[in-house]
Amino acid sequence: MKNRTPVLFTLVVVLLLLAPVFAAGTKEAAGPVTLTFVETMTSPSRTAQIEDLIAKYEALNPMVKINLVSPPYEQADNKLTLMLNSNQELDIVEVRDHTVKQFVNNKKLVDLTTYLAAWDEGDDLLPLTVTAANTVDNTPYLLPQFFFVKGLFVRTDVLAKYGFTTLPKTIDELYSMSKAITGKDRNQYGFGFRGKGSSFKISDILILSDVDNISVDNIYKTDDGRFAFSTPEARRAVAAYVDLYKHAVPADGVNWGFNEQVNAFISGSTPFLVQDPDTVGMVADALDPALYTVIPMPVGASGKTYLDYGFAGLGIPTTSKHPDLAWDFISFMVNAENNADFCKVYGPLPVHTSTYANDPYFSSGVYKSWETEMSDPDTYVFVKYPLDSPKYPGWAQVQEQTMQSLLLGNTTVDQAIKSWEDYWK
Amino acid sequence: MKRRSPYPVIRFLLLALYLIAAIFPLYWIFITSLKGPKEIYTMPLQYLPNNPSLASYRKLFSFSNFSTYFRNSLVIALISSLLAMAVSIFSGFSLSRYPTKRTKGALQLVLYFTQTIPTFIIMVPIFTMFSRLGWVDRTAALMLVYVATVVAFSTIMSKGFFDRIPTSLEEAARIDGCSMFQSLWRVILPITRPGMAAIFCFAFINIWNELFLAVMLLMSNDKMTVPVALNSFISKAGISWDVMSAGIVIALLPTMIVFGFGQRYIVAGLTEGSVKG
Amino acid sequence: MEKTHYRWMLVPTLLFLVLFIYVPVVRGGVMAFQHYNLFDLSTLRFNGVGNFISVITDKHISFAQILLNTAVWLIGSLTFQFILGFALALLLRKPFAGRGLYTAFVFYGWALSGFAIGLTWAWLFNGQAGLVNDLLIRLGVLDQPIGFLSNPRLAMMSVIIPNIWYGVPFFGIMLLAALQSVPNELYEAATLDGAATVRKFISVTVPYVKPTIVSTILLRTMWIVNFPDLIYAMTNGGPVNRTNILATQMINKVFKEYDYGQGSAIAVIIMLLLFVYAVLYLRIVEDSKEELL
Repeated sequence: MKNRTPVLFTLVVVLLLLAPVFAAGTKEAAGPVTLTFVETMTSPSRTAQIEDLIAKYEALNPMVKINLVSPPYEQADNKLTLMLNSNQELDIVEVRDHTVKQFVNNKKLVDLTTYLAAWDEGDDLLPLTVTAANTVDNTPYLLPQFFFVKGLFVRTDVLAKYGFTTLPKTIDELYSMSKAITGKDRNQYGFGFRGKGSSFKISDILILSDVDNISVDNIYKTDDGRFAFSTPEARRAVAAYVDLYKHAVPADGVNWGFNEQVNAFISGSTPFLVQDPDTVGMVADALDPALYTVIPMPVGASGKTYLDYGFAGLGIPTTSKHPDLAWDFISFMVNAENNADFCKVYGPLPVHTSTYANDPYFSSGVYKSWETEMSDPDTYVFVKYPLDSPKYPGWAQVQEQTMQSLLLGNTTVDQAIKSWEDYWK
Repeated sequence: MKRRSPYPVIRFLLLALYLIAAIFPLYWIFITSLKGPKEIYTMPLQYLPNNPSLASYRKLFSFSNFSTYFRNSLVIALISSLLAMAVSIFSGFSLSRYPTKRTKGALQLVLYFTQTIPTFIIMVPIFTMFSRLGWVDRTAALMLVYVATVVAFSTIMSKGFFDRIPTSLEEAARIDGCSMFQSLWRVILPITRPGMAAIFCFAFINIWNELFLAVMLLMSNDKMTVPVALNSFISKAGISWDVMSAGIVIALLPTMIVFGFGQRYIVAGLTEGSVKG
Repeated sequence: MEKTHYRWMLVPTLLFLVLFIYVPVVRGGVMAFQHYNLFDLSTLRFNGVGNFISVITDKHISFAQILLNTAVWLIGSLTFQFILGFALALLLRKPFAGRGLYTAFVFYGWALSGFAIGLTWAWLFNGQAGLVNDLLIRLGVLDQPIGFLSNPRLAMMSVIIPNIWYGVPFFGIMLLAALQSVPNELYEAATLDGAATVRKFISVTVPYVKPTIVSTILLRTMWIVNFPDLIYAMTNGGPVNRTNILATQMINKVFKEYDYGQGSAIAVIIMLLLFVYAVLYLRIVEDSKEELL
């Protein structure tokens, strides 16, 4: 009697450990098919919007249920990677420019060629959309949903206070205006600097736009195969960028990420901000529309500006048991009408040609600037990051630390460029 | 007669100073949660909101299902920490009374070593294992992992409490015909109740705040926990400080309540456990 | 007979630890010896100590700097957490009206999650719009805002301060409990002896709470070294790697570079260092070992 207690006790614990097994829900045999959709660029308002679209789709297709998984933005890519690599059964996944290569390498995505060819809206896609879809191995592994392209946000009220009525057209003008406004004693600075968290996406535009022959396939190479930063133009531009930091940016700028950058813009302490269109919503919430505007990125000494097109889109994992249904949902989500609605609230640029032609929203107001950038390929040149390279994932940290070291005067321009060249060798 | 000691005054001043230092980050978060989105970033900084409003709290609960997450977290943290407490009562008692010294030492090493392990290194294998077992997105499975993450420290504490209780107590109970379990249950546990409260509080606070395992092991929106929800207020377009600050304030309530009610027991409990008799 | 009982009582805890901690840790440890980069899993293979060599000889992110940072982070945080925690415990030892409420308020920082604290303090320490700068300027201490997180000389201090703030309550509560267990007779005896306050403190109080100090410091060391959340949210290891510790570099390798092999190698290094530390530490405080083991 007495000796049985511990045995019983252990049994209870073992049963407890097995609880998850019993907690399993019974699977419905018949009834609607459930598709699992993992989003990665999560934000609460965007998730709500996707849920609306899902409800709309489910109303049209009563035999399909969409189960949306929304991991927080900062962990989402890692979680999706983990899910795909442990072969969880997923049907629709949100793939980003910097994750697509990895997923394709590990054979996690379905080739969408036949689906795209049969899609009646396929011809309506922007050329840039098609290029982005074919990023890896020249094969469409995803259908892009939107683009992030940098524009220049300007606090016109602050500029007016210092007597500036024209807006900068060149990077040179941007720099000199930023410096002219700066008065450290009155806590006024010019440029909303980015020093951490993928800061290269801003500094590369400002520096490399001085170089005439950047390769569109790899922003870090010139057309004749040289390392882009090693050109004399880039060398000068790096020095000018350091000079900008010293004379138009709060010292704190080396540690600024997105939040600090945008807060400084909203508080007016830096009237220039280089950002993506999804920042529009946040700025509009906090500032009166009369106080700011967005203009196309100023051009460099080359007369051009090299813009990165960040994107994310939807793909079908190889583990999906219902790829045809998954495609049906994707083509619904990314059709011209839904895509335009989605981008209006969320912020980034839509992917259909017809949207820009028919929907005045994307060619007026602050979006005018992005429309200009999208329609003048001689001035606004879209270039690719070396997303194919196994070195790309480590680049952000190395660039951040070496650039900070340069900005703080611990290393020289030549040393910094040398270390970047070493990294990419 | 002795002069009046200046100590009480100094003590009062030091305690007041510490209170200010301890409280001002929370004050700032609290004030932020009462401001509107336009007020949050204005310069110069506003130490009191111009138009205090509960809009952020309304947004938090209406817009983001926060009450669901709050309930999930409460259930998960309560059950896991009770379970951890129950399990560590036995292991702590056993360790405290274990007759072979060498085994005892080895076992404690096993416990201490768990504290050196970075969560990340177990995260990927746990995910892979759960994925194979079909345990991903099961709240019960997450609770088991949570018990495992706190049970080592709980056992270390619990052993400390039992070490304080002289063995003569149970021996007396045994002579009266109690089994070992009966004597533990009827005689020893009542004395160490404050200590158990302390174990519960430590476990509760740790589990309530855990982020990474919850992010990885849960899928469904309606199973998410509070730290995950807070983390989701950070998106590519920055931190939504209005809902974030409101969320942090709300998330603090349960831990402060547990602490507020439990602290008398915690301190009393730890007092018993802190030093060997 | 007795022994079997004691063994059975250990089973549940050991089951939990083995299944959810030790088995995963062994599997994770194996990754440290593999070329395990998610960028291309077809290259997955054993590579001996290759990951350790890559991490230690990294040309761009100096490992020596990371080790140094980890040491500064640990010593800075631990010392002040301990001193302030002990001071707080001493101040709270004698009851006063409202002590319960006071303790609850003072200790709440400990009940926050690491990333929430990191975000909050990153904002407070902002070099432009931060509350700390604003206060110091209003009080006339500064006339220009300071880049707490951007000045390489201040950055480590600026991440250690929130960590101290976060850790004091734990020490405070553990030591307060220990202090309350010092029998009053001991104090009275010391008072009759005419022992001065400081000597009384050293000869009566300290020895009595020493076991608590020993175990709390050991645990806290392990927790501080394994606590990347704050730094990750505040500086991401910058500026110029000045706040990059082993734990943050591990996160970078895993979450940013998808290099599970090198990430696990850093995790193994952390565990090894802490293990060696624990052994040395326990040897030094030999006489207290009895209380721990």
